[in-house]
Amino acid sequence: MGPLSREAWAQLLGAFRASPSAFMAAPEGEDLGRDLLSDLRSEKLSEPTKVSMLALSLEYPAQLWPDAPAAEAAATSLLDTLVLLPPRPSALRRPLLLAATTALVTGGALGPTSGASLRLLPLLLGLASGGDLGRGFGPASEQRPLQATACECLRELESCQPGLLGGCLGLLRGLLGQEGPVAPVQPLSLLLALALRNTLVIQARAGASLQGLLTVRASPPGGGPWNWTLAQAGEAHLQPQAPSWPAAEEECRLSALEPSPEEARELRAAVAQLLDTSYLLTPVAQAQLLWLLGWALRGLRGQPPVLFKPQLVRLLSTAQLTLLHAVLALKAAFGEALFTAQDEALLLRRLTLAAQHPALPLPAHLFHLHCLLSFPENCPLGPAGEEAAPLLLEPQLCRGLLPHLLLDPMALLARLHLLCLLCAEDEQEEKGQAQSPCHYLQELLAGLQQRAALPGSPRALATLCFRASYLVARCLAGRHAVLTPLTHGLAQLYRARPALAPHFVDLLDRVAPELGELLRVVLRQEVVSRPGGGEALRWHLQMLARVADRDAQSATLAFLQAAAVHCSDWGLQQALLRVCRALLRAGVGGGLADLLQALARQLEDPDGRDHARLYYILLSHLSGPKLGVALGPSLAAPALTSLVAENQGFATALMVQEAPAPIRLSVGTQRAEGPVPVLQLQVEVLEPVYSLELRFRVEGHVYAPLGAVHVPCLCPGRPARPLLLPLQPRRPAPTQLDIRALYTRSTGLTCYTRLPPLPVKFADLFLPFPKPPGGASSGFFEELWDSCLPKGAESRLWCPLGPHGLEALVSRHLEPFVVVAQPPTSYHVAIRLPPDSALLLRLEAAQADGVPVVLRTDDWAVLPLAGDYLRGLSAAG
Amino acid sequence: MAQRAVWLVSHEPGTPLCGTVRFSRRFPTVEKRAKVFNGTSYVPIPEDGPFLKSLLFELRLLDEDKDFMESRDSCSRINKTSVYGLKVGGEELWPVVAFLKNGIVYACVPLVEQTLSPRPALISISAISQGFELLFGIQDFLYSSQRMDTELNTKLSQLPDLLLQACPFGTVLDANLQNSLDSINFASVTHPQKQPAWKAGTYKGKPQVSISITEKVKSMQYDKQDIADTWQVVGTVTCKVPVPPILGFYQIKEEEAQLKITVNLKLHESVKNNFEFCEAHIPFYNRGPITHVEYKVSFGQLEVFREKSLLIWIIGQKFPKSMEISLSGTITFGAKSHDKQPFDHICIAGTAYLKLHFRILDYTLTGCYADQHSVQVFASGKPKISTHRKLISSDYYIWNSKAPAPVTYGSLLLWTHCDAFDFV
Repeated sequence: MGPLSREAWAQLLGAFRASPSAFMAAPEGEDLGRDLLSDLRSEKLSEPTKVSMLALSLEYPAQLWPDAPAAEAAATSLLDTLVLLPPRPSALRRPLLLAATTALVTGGALGPTSGASLRLLPLLLGLASGGDLGRGFGPASEQRPLQATACECLRELESCQPGLLGGCLGLLRGLLGQEGPVAPVQPLSLLLALALRNTLVIQARAGASLQGLLTVRASPPGGGPWNWTLAQAGEAHLQPQAPSWPAAEEECRLSALEPSPEEARELRAAVAQLLDTSYLLTPVAQAQLLWLLGWALRGLRGQPPVLFKPQLVRLLSTAQLTLLHAVLALKAAFGEALFTAQDEALLLRRLTLAAQHPALPLPAHLFHLHCLLSFPENCPLGPAGEEAAPLLLEPQLCRGLLPHLLLDPMALLARLHLLCLLCAEDEQEEKGQAQSPCHYLQELLAGLQQRAALPGSPRALATLCFRASYLVARCLAGRHAVLTPLTHGLAQLYRARPALAPHFVDLLDRVAPELGELLRVVLRQEVVSRPGGGEALRWHLQMLARVADRDAQSATLAFLQAAAVHCSDWGLQQALLRVCRALLRAGVGGGLADLLQALARQLEDPDGRDHARLYYILLSHLSGPKLGVALGPSLAAPALTSLVAENQGFATALMVQEAPAPIRLSVGTQRAEGPVPVLQLQVEVLEPVYSLELRFRVEGHVYAPLGAVHVPCLCPGRPARPLLLPLQPRRPAPTQLDIRALYTRSTGLTCYTRLPPLPVKFADLFLPFPKPPGGASSGFFEELWDSCLPKGAESRLWCPLGPHGLEALVSRHLEPFVVVAQPPTSYHVAIRLPPDSALLLRLEAAQADGVPVVLRTDDWAVLPLAGDYLRGLSAAG
Repeated sequence: MAQRAVWLVSHEPGTPLCGTVRFSRRFPTVEKRAKVFNGTSYVPIPEDGPFLKSLLFELRLLDEDKDFMESRDSCSRINKTSVYGLKVGGEELWPVVAFLKNGIVYACVPLVEQTLSPRPALISISAISQGFELLFGIQDFLYSSQRMDTELNTKLSQLPDLLLQACPFGTVLDANLQNSLDSINFASVTHPQKQPAWKAGTYKGKPQVSISITEKVKSMQYDKQDIADTWQVVGTVTCKVPVPPILGFYQIKEEEAQLKITVNLKLHESVKNNFEFCEAHIPFYNRGPITHVEYKVSFGQLEVFREKSLLIWIIGQKFPKSMEISLSGTITFGAKSHDKQPFDHICIAGTAYLKLHFRILDYTLTGCYADQHSVQVFASGKPKISTHRKLISSDYYIWNSKAPAPVTYGSLLLWTHCDAFDFV
């Protein structure tokens, strides 16, 4: 395909700019990068067309040449085009240099292995040093602009690859100091300053010295290969040219650099050289130089900031935004070492005036005001990072900066913040002096409220009023002298324009801790004291949904009752029901039930009626906290009807959730009394648990089914009374109980959980026989003993005793069942085993190491259990 | 210290998008650095379309002011500087410096050379002020002599070349774009001495130094016991102000459909009675058009702008010998129609003002002047020295004393200091 025409390129570039991503995705995007490079050499296209093609490559190199090889090839092609230009004046040389630089950097191709880099760097340095590069580089008249451009290209390369020019510091210094026809000062100064700074940081990090870098004047181009050592050392760390203050303590690692006295002298000379000619730079460039040098010298040993002092005389009175900003950066970097208290006061005065000077535009005013409130003080009192009025800023000085109604909203808010800070410091506030800042603040707020109250005034005015209220509430929390009138003013505003209800709701949400309660009460009064109809009803209902609670419920309900008549459309009914919902959540009871019942009958819309009925059912069936949760903000996605969305919320809230148990159960000591065995359950909880219901299932159905146990409330750390669980054994056997727990958490959600099974031991079933009348214990025992046989069984075994002997064993385990005792050697024990079995033990003639036990029962099935039990006893000691 | 991108967007209310990107420029080498510096908090520069939409929304310049929108209207979204965060593709692009001036939104994204989370304070970002200066420079260039739309278009078409000169890689070299234009046009061959970067080319004429002192005087006069009048003079040199130059009072009485107004103005005897011009503008807001005026002026002429509901009292070059002049009259208004007559949020009911516009040449209120014989210039050649002075009114209000008026700071302001712009 031949070269495109001028018009075709114009069209192509236009289409590309409209949406680069869409263009590149289309088929014509594929060849754009290649066509652009080849058509740059076309003789049919004019220079302006080619400049606009190059401009595109300056902005979108990553789209045209997306990877390093493509970028490398593009840069090579651009350099070839540059060399091939005829020796007459051309507007292409500059953009070609810029484009080649951009392509190499953005494509990530810059490096010692890139042929294009190895061509571009010496070329740029040659141009920058004003060397004669031959007729191919245009007529003499173009040399100077090209020299400047070459410096800019080198600066950009150094910015993106710090250390690249570390080897050229001496050369650059020499160029800057030249007498006679000289190189352009600004590009060289900025280039030298950046290269110097980067070298200092890289050498400091490497723990190396400056190695005479400042003085070697040999130039690599032509002479030898480019020195990549420093660039490779700096590669991993792109250097902020002006790191954020004052957090950049790490910059102080520069202190690792210990220049020799000679190096220090050379460094000082280089910096002084740059500063001395800095007045020749444009204000923006001077500012860049100051940021760079300020941070280059910060923390460097033997480099007192006093070097900057001569410049300060000039700079402290600047009206240039960028320069003033750079001076503030020096202030942040050096503090007292460079700025006296007088300087500080002067700077503050300058800032105060710059923040209101009619010759400066509003955005500059606002930025100056920001600088004033973030001023880097010599002796800051407050916490860092928070906006505050500087100590030396006298109230007298601030007067011109106080807000008034004629200001632009942004300026008003910015100045209002300052006023709030002054009020916060003002101790005479409570006295309500007419001249005090607080008094002035109140008048201002009143003015804002009046303006927002105008019928038909734009929303922006209301927004401004609420933003001001928010700012004041946040800055002056707890200052009732300010907040009370503010609240009442807002109530008046609501009275005048109920349509601002959404703003009020928003404000209530944002200032809940500072102003919420106070404002809520007055707004509720404001709403419920109205008749319940009119155009503003939807706003009143929206407001009430946010501010209604248990207080003043009768007035609220009366208002709603009156309003219900006017709620003819679906929207209003929903708004009304939202208020009901808020009341439900707040725990309003009786009157609300009546209202809901009435609504369930009277509302026209079926959705509304259903809603009211649902709320009524919830109100009558759910406990307070549960209602609160059920009606809490729904996490469900918004649905078409509010009822669906709400029901999804209910579903989550009302459904029982399965959860890991916060409950631990254990069996306490046996009571061994009464007609049936009773388990004493000890309950511990890890979090508050309400309405706990424990359900038991007996494994193997050896006992009759057990009833559930209910506990209203359990709290962690508070001892709970043991739960008594009566057992009705069908046969005397140990088993285990399956336990499930149903409970409500403090969030109101109902949870269900399965607890670990609880073993019921054989001994847990033991009951004593009733005491025989008259104390004929021995005869009673013998009677039982005899009655066991022949139906039952007898067994004998040896029960080993521990060091404490038989007496201890009996008193610990069998005490309640002893019928006849002859301590310490002989005991008769009778145990009743419900439902109707008995276990009898004769422990007689105990010896030191054990006692023979004769055991009888009327139920042979008990025999092995009893055997196990006794063996267990001896094992337990 | 560099910018990642610059835009000029014309605000066109009533059109579907409410605006058009008139110019945009991205700086990919800066973007590459942004990616490294910002790390995980990096948000790429969007294409023009999404940027336009998001910018106009954030600046409240879309035509959708009807309902409360939390993301735009919430009271906690407080901007105290012209620096915004724009929601783009679910992420927030910050910081975006942007402001609207004469129907054009000027915007740029300064490079922040660190992570953006947490957000650093604006004061600590060097590129913020550089961005402001660049945008102010573009604005000055576009409006330096522009009167017509065609001129604006011509200037917009020059911008790509100018930025290539003034900001080739996103780092601003000169915010004064006129300089860049000059340097494109006059590329001189030899430079015998060090050339300031802020002065393009060499000047061929006779060297001269011109020192100009301009003072602007603001005033708020209430004619009330409990509110002190205020005035403020700012200018180019240290100054002290004893009195406002013109004192006055303004009273309105409303009688049925008519307003009776009385204005008295008095020139202070110490003030030079030789104006370039002096006018009192008397607007009537939130009312219908003026249908009838009966008036008496002791001096000067009164012009009536019926549709605008405005009276202009042309006082002329001098006050009379008595130094006092007065105006009284009765004004009748027609029915209010919202589209035509001016609406104002402050001038409600009786709240009203008159605003003085005047300029006095060769005079400063403070007496401050530059003595041309005492100016020393350290340069070769002997430049001609010329000095100028002038006093200009700026926000000079006199409020109706019969109704409430917005109070600026309710106490006397004595401005015993001011500004000395250096000659950078």
